[in-house]
Amino acid sequence: MSLSRSPSPQRGGGWSSPGLNTPYNTSGRSTPMRVNANTNGGAHISWASAQAKSAEVKGYPSFATRNQGFFSRHMRRISASLPRFDGGRNARYAEKEKLQRGRWGGGAGRWSGIMGRIGRMMWRMRLRFAVLFGFFFLVVAFYVTPLHRIYRRASFLGGGSKFVIIQAANLGGGVMEWKGPREWAIERDSLKNKRKYAKKWGYELEIVDMSTKKRYAHEWRESWEKVDTIRNAMRKYPDAEWFWWLDLNTFIMEPSYSLQSHIFNNLAKTTYRDINAYNPLNITHPLTSPYLDAETRSPIGDGLASSINIIVPQDCSGFNLGSFFVRRSAWTDRLLDIWWDPVFYEQKHMEWEHKEQDALEHLYASQAWVRPHVAFIEQRMINSFPPGACGEKGEDPRIHYKEQDRDFVVNMAGCEWGRDCWGEMYNYRQLSNKLNRNRWERVKDWVSESVKAAKEKRKENEEKKGEEKQDERKGS
Amino acid sequence: MHFAFPPRKTSHPPPYALRQTRSPLLRRSRLQLIALVALGCIAGLYMLSKLFGSSSITEAIPAGTSPVVIVTTLDKNKGDAFNEKIKQNRKAYAARHGYATFFPHTSDYPLGDSPHSWSKVPSMRHAMALHPHSTHFLYLSPLALIMNPSLPLDSHILSPSRLENLMIVDQPVVPPDSVIKTFSHLKGDRIDMVLTQDKEGLGSEIFILRRGEWAKYLLDAWFDPLYRSYNFQRAEGHALEHIVQWHGTILAKLALVPQRIMNSYVKDEKGNNPGGVYQEGDFVAHFYGCDKAPRHCEEEMAPYFAKVAS
Repeated sequence: MSLSRSPSPQRGGGWSSPGLNTPYNTSGRSTPMRVNANTNGGAHISWASAQAKSAEVKGYPSFATRNQGFFSRHMRRISASLPRFDGGRNARYAEKEKLQRGRWGGGAGRWSGIMGRIGRMMWRMRLRFAVLFGFFFLVVAFYVTPLHRIYRRASFLGGGSKFVIIQAANLGGGVMEWKGPREWAIERDSLKNKRKYAKKWGYELEIVDMSTKKRYAHEWRESWEKVDTIRNAMRKYPDAEWFWWLDLNTFIMEPSYSLQSHIFNNLAKTTYRDINAYNPLNITHPLTSPYLDAETRSPIGDGLASSINIIVPQDCSGFNLGSFFVRRSAWTDRLLDIWWDPVFYEQKHMEWEHKEQDALEHLYASQAWVRPHVAFIEQRMINSFPPGACGEKGEDPRIHYKEQDRDFVVNMAGCEWGRDCWGEMYNYRQLSNKLNRNRWERVKDWVSESVKAAKEKRKENEEKKGEEKQDERKGS
Repeated sequence: MHFAFPPRKTSHPPPYALRQTRSPLLRRSRLQLIALVALGCIAGLYMLSKLFGSSSITEAIPAGTSPVVIVTTLDKNKGDAFNEKIKQNRKAYAARHGYATFFPHTSDYPLGDSPHSWSKVPSMRHAMALHPHSTHFLYLSPLALIMNPSLPLDSHILSPSRLENLMIVDQPVVPPDSVIKTFSHLKGDRIDMVLTQDKEGLGSEIFILRRGEWAKYLLDAWFDPLYRSYNFQRAEGHALEHIVQWHGTILAKLALVPQRIMNSYVKDEKGNNPGGVYQEGDFVAHFYGCDKAPRHCEEEMAPYFAKVAS
C-alpha cells in the first residue's frame, strides 16, 4: 500500500492515513472507538464494531476469564465511572427520552460513582465495620432488649441473682381493717418502683403479704413475722446471698444505682463496724468483759468484709429495720432463730414498741456473739428519711434526704402516724422521675416550661396593663 | 477436581510480591509457647492459692496445745482444803492425758442478782478465750469426781464414730414427754455439745463443748440477762432446757449420751433414776444435790477420794 503522505496523528485521535482506517467508513469520522454509535444500521460491519456490539448485549466482555466473582465484577462496574455502560443505556433508551427515563441515567453515573467509592472503602475496611457492627449489635442486645437482664442476673457476670429484695406489702390489711384507695395507690406505686428496679438489675423480688393473720394461737408473735419471712425467702431462693428487706413506705429514688456498685463491691468502706461512730442508743462498745475472747472484744470484730452478716442503718433513735440487709450464713440462721424468744417476749413485749427492732437492739447489746458480725451503714446510703421523721425540718445531714446528693432510697418512716403517706410517696415519685429524665425529656420539658413561662409573663403584663388602665380611669 | 495440567500462571504477574494483609506479630510456634507458659502460670497460682487458702482455714495449732480443757468453777465458801482436793482430782486426770485445767471462782464473773451457778457459762467462754486452740472443753461440776482417770475423753466419748454409737436419738429433750425430741440423723462430726439427761431434765452440771462460733452463740445466748432475770426454777439448768427446746439451731448441734458415760449419780434420792446410779468403773461420780442439807458433800466424797487415790 502506498501512502500519499506519512501517517501522522490527527487531532481528536485516529490516524489520517486512510490505509489504517476502515475504507468503507462513510461517516467521515476517524476514531475507531466511536464506530459503534454509527454502525447500528450500517451495512459495513468491522470487527471492532461487532465486538462492541456483543459487549453491549452481554454487558461484559465475553472473553473475560478473571474476575468472575460477582462482587469484584459488580465492584468494577460501580467503581469505574462507566462511559460504556452509560452510552449503551442512552443509546438503547434514546427514543424514550421523552418519557424522561434516561435522565436519571446521567446523574446515576456520578451518583453510583460516589456510591461505588463508598462501597469500595467499606469493603476495604470491612473488618473494622464488622467490629463496629458487632459492638452496635451487642449494645442493642444487652441494653435495649431484655437480654441484659439475663446477663445481669448470671452469677458469673452481673451477679444479680445473688440479691433478693423482700418487699413487705399489705401492711395491717386482712382482719384489722379495710384498705382505702390511698393505701392501694401507695402499694401500687411502691411495688411498681421495686419491680422496675429488680427487673433492671436482675434481682429477685419477693413480695410478702404482711396482713395480720391469726396464724398463731395467741397474740404472741403477732406482727413479728419479719423474721419468719426472711427465713422463708432464704428457703425459696437457695442461691441468693444477700436479702434486702424493704418496708412498704419506701421508694427507690435512683434506680440507676446497682446494689453492687452502691454497696457491695466495696463493703468494707461503705459500712462501719464500730457503733461509736454514731451511737444514738449509747450502747457500750466494745465489750470489755475479761472472759470474752479478743475478737469479740475488738470494736470492729475481725475487720474483714467477709464476716459481715447483717447491715443495719441507724436513725435518730437507734437501729432502723425499714431497709436492711442480711446475708445467708450459719450465723444468720442463729440470729433469725434466737431473734424471737418467748421468754424475751413475755418480759418485754409491753416495752418493745418496735418489736423486732428492739429485740435486735437487745441482742446486739447483751449477747456478745452478735457484735463481730454486725455492720452499720450510713442511714442515707439506703434509708433516707423525709422531713417529718426524726425532726420536723429535715435538716439532719445524717438522716434526711437531700436532692442534690441523689440519695438512693427514701423511707417515709412513720408516715402513717399523722402524716400523709400518699402525698409523700407521690412527691418523691415525681422528684425521682424528674431527676432521672434522659436528655430528650429534659429538652422537651425545657421547651414546654419556657413556653409556659412566656405565657404567664404575657398574662401578667396584660393584667398589669389592665390595672394601669383601671388606675388611669380612676385617676381621671 | 483434577486437571491434566497445572493451572496457568497469570499473564500479568504482580509487579511486587504481595504483602500479607495481616502479618502476624507472633509466629504460631511462639504463640503456642506463650499459651503454654500462661497456662502453667495460672495452674501454679491456683495451686499456691489452694495451699495458702487451706492453710488460712485450718489455723496453725501451736505445738503443746492440750486438746481438752477441764473447767470447774469453785466456790470460795467451800474452803480451800476441799477445793484443793477437787483441783487435785482434775489435775491428776489432766496430767495423765495431756489435758489442761481451768479453775475460776464463781465470784469472778458479773452475775448481778442471779444465782452463782450461772458462773459456769461465762467460765466456759473464759476458758475458750484462754485456750484458743484447744478443741474440746469439759465442764465438770465441783460436786463431781473423776473416778476412772484411765479413760481418755477422745475414745470414751468424743470420736465421731463412738459418739454416733452413744447418741440417744429421738429422745424427748425434757423427760418424760416433751414434744421436742433430739434429731435422729446427726453425724458424729457435726456435734458441738455433748451432755446427759437424768429423769428430770438435761444435766447442765457436766457437759462438753467444742470450740467454734456455735459454742460462742450457745454460751452468749444462754447467758442473756433476760434469762437470768426470769427466775427459772433451776436457774441456768432450766434456761438451757428452754433454749434447746425453742431454738432449732441449738438442738441441731446437741448429742445426748447415756447418763453413766459421764454423769453417774452417787445417790438416787427419789429412787426413780436407777439407770444413772454410779457403778464401779464409771468415768465420773456426781454427788448431785449433796450441797443441800441434810446431805454433806465432804463426808460423802471421802471414801471416793480414797478409792481414786489407791
